Amino acid sequence: MTPLVPLPVAVPITVAAFLLASGHFLPRRVPDLLAMATALAMTVISAVMATRSVSGPLTYWFGGWSTIGAQVVGIRFQVDPFGAALAAFAGLLFFATFIFAWGVFEKIGALFHVLMLFFLAAIDGFVLTHDLFNLFVWFEVMSVAAFSLTAYRLEASALEGAMNFTVTNSLASFCVLGGIGLIYLRVGALDFSALSQAVAADGGDPLFLGSFALLATGFLIKGAMVPFQAWLSDTHAVAPSPVSVIFSGIMVPVGLFGVVRLYFSVFAGSGVITTVLNTLGLWIGVASALLGGFMCLTQRHLKRLLAFSTISHVGVMLAAFAILSAPAQAGFLLYLLGHGLTKGALFMLSGLLLATLGGIDEIGLRGLGRQVWPAGIAFAVGGLLLGGAPVGLMDEGTRLIDAAASQAHRDWAALACLLASALTGGAVLRATGRIFLGWGKVAGEEERGPSEQEQEDANRPLWLLLLPAVVLLCLALAEGGTIQRYARLAVVALMSPGQAAHAPVPVPKPPHPILPWISTLLALLIAAFDLFRDRIPHSILVTNDRITTPLRHLLEPMHSGRVGDYVAWIVAGLAMLAIALSVAS
Amino acid sequence: MNWIPWLLAGWLFFVGIYGVISSRNYVHLVGCLAVVQSSTYVLLLSVGYRQGAGPPIFFHIPPGRAVDPVVQALVLTDIVVGATISALLLALALQVHKVKGTLDPDQLRPLRR
Repeated sequence: MTPLVPLPVAVPITVAAFLLASGHFLPRRVPDLLAMATALAMTVISAVMATRSVSGPLTYWFGGWSTIGAQVVGIRFQVDPFGAALAAFAGLLFFATFIFAWGVFEKIGALFHVLMLFFLAAIDGFVLTHDLFNLFVWFEVMSVAAFSLTAYRLEASALEGAMNFTVTNSLASFCVLGGIGLIYLRVGALDFSALSQAVAADGGDPLFLGSFALLATGFLIKGAMVPFQAWLSDTHAVAPSPVSVIFSGIMVPVGLFGVVRLYFSVFAGSGVITTVLNTLGLWIGVASALLGGFMCLTQRHLKRLLAFSTISHVGVMLAAFAILSAPAQAGFLLYLLGHGLTKGALFMLSGLLLATLGGIDEIGLRGLGRQVWPAGIAFAVGGLLLGGAPVGLMDEGTRLIDAAASQAHRDWAALACLLASALTGGAVLRATGRIFLGWGKVAGEEERGPSEQEQEDANRPLWLLLLPAVVLLCLALAEGGTIQRYARLAVVALMSPGQAAHAPVPVPKPPHPILPWISTLLALLIAAFDLFRDRIPHSILVTNDRITTPLRHLLEPMHSGRVGDYVAWIVAGLAMLAIALSVAS
Repeated sequence: MNWIPWLLAGWLFFVGIYGVISSRNYVHLVGCLAVVQSSTYVLLLSVGYRQGAGPPIFFHIPPGRAVDPVVQALVLTDIVVGATISALLLALALQVHKVKGTLDPDQLRPLRR
């Protein structure tokens, strides 16, 4: 089985190199087909590894260098079911995106495919590696591919978004590198197993704590958690929609997975770090979930709206991880998969609107969506799923997270996450009602839309635009029983690295079955509130504004679009982590 | 252990961050980012430094005391990363200047709302 292990990174990079060299001579559709075939092949290989690795990790030493005595001298990939499942999911999402982007990037030849394949290789390497510096290298490859893809349109807003993205995320990689330096100083190794032994021996060592603060800051910037989140909305709003699919669907959650992997593979032996994650980590997650949900509701630019909902849902994932118990991690995986499929589909549908209707402004598009009504149905399904409807993978994940939260006496966190889902679901449903049904007329608001005229190439038939989104939604709706069992198996190997996953962790007592219905109902109410403002008594509107206006004035400056502000928030976040760690020790 | 390199790394990190936060020109900002990154070079090199040890080249020489070659490889990778990012950011800055005619981050704000 081990010969398969390096393929998820080796094959995409080889194909990318080939396309880069020969892109000019190839017939037009060959890069599209080749990229699709590669992504599909990587999905299959990763899925095979995901099933085989259940009986024990698959290890591959690069260049045959492994250990001399007890000292690790090589770099290895160690495939565990959790990482392999993420790699398979990444391949699937890239495959769907390549279908969706069929012929869109003709102007730049095969360059889009080259960057995307490097992106895929980097994500796969990131989730499979067992070496800290190797992790950094894949993190960096992922970032650079993402930076260049964001700026594709070369218009002012895209360039500015890409610059904010590049500056903040470069700082993230410098933080990671600083963290690597500190831990290497103490341990003199970079292999996860060696690091983990050293941390277990002396978990309170200030060097380890400092290293963790820097590493966590780096990965939380990529994971767009409060207070590091501001770059995300700028970037997702302006990137081409196929690229936004990848950003929201897999890149941002995988950034957060960096923290998960590091904690369980390296830092779990430190009581101080465990305490900090269990308290501060949970708060950061809940704060991100609520902030994302609230900001989501105040947007009218559809992709920006979806971007904030990504912050919210990744916040739920962080909260799930921060509970630190095994069922919560299984919930994390299921939630990640369900969210990636749903959000990917929603970004594709906004790309469809950009291509067919030539706009993305919710208010400007009011009622225009009727011409592409099938997209409206898909949009509504996506909104309901985000809002916590009791069906599909996300719901499967939510139930595990809620159960784990109540087991850990953190019911408040589960309730906050429920509210956040309702807010984001409500926002998406509101947009659906306005664009596809023509509800919610806003007088005199049309001219205050986003400044720039946006349009994506409309060189594809409607069914081709719809197909990948519908397939992703169907997968998100799939009966999650098998995947849920697999997730409960995968966490065993995640939480004790190097072990086989013998038996799935038990399901804790499920939460009350009415919770998802409350969440869905709340989402529908929120959507209806915004759509039918003219029929709601004036006094209620005034009360609502009295609560939301100060919140908006508080949160909007945080997303000013000025990169200096974002960097200041990053420093504040780093300081917050450092203070929490020193207080806890 | 000598504390001067640590102090230097910390100083470079914070002075660079201050520059990024307060910068009024994107080209200047890219320079400041490079300063932040230099702090990681100093940090890593001082991690691997051994007093009185030679360079880690053992060709034709019996292995003796040498500074840590691993961190030197890390720094090399780091430098490649830095060059990529600076080049990319400068290219973006050039394009922004073509479109907007300014490089002041205060006047360049991505899409709002």
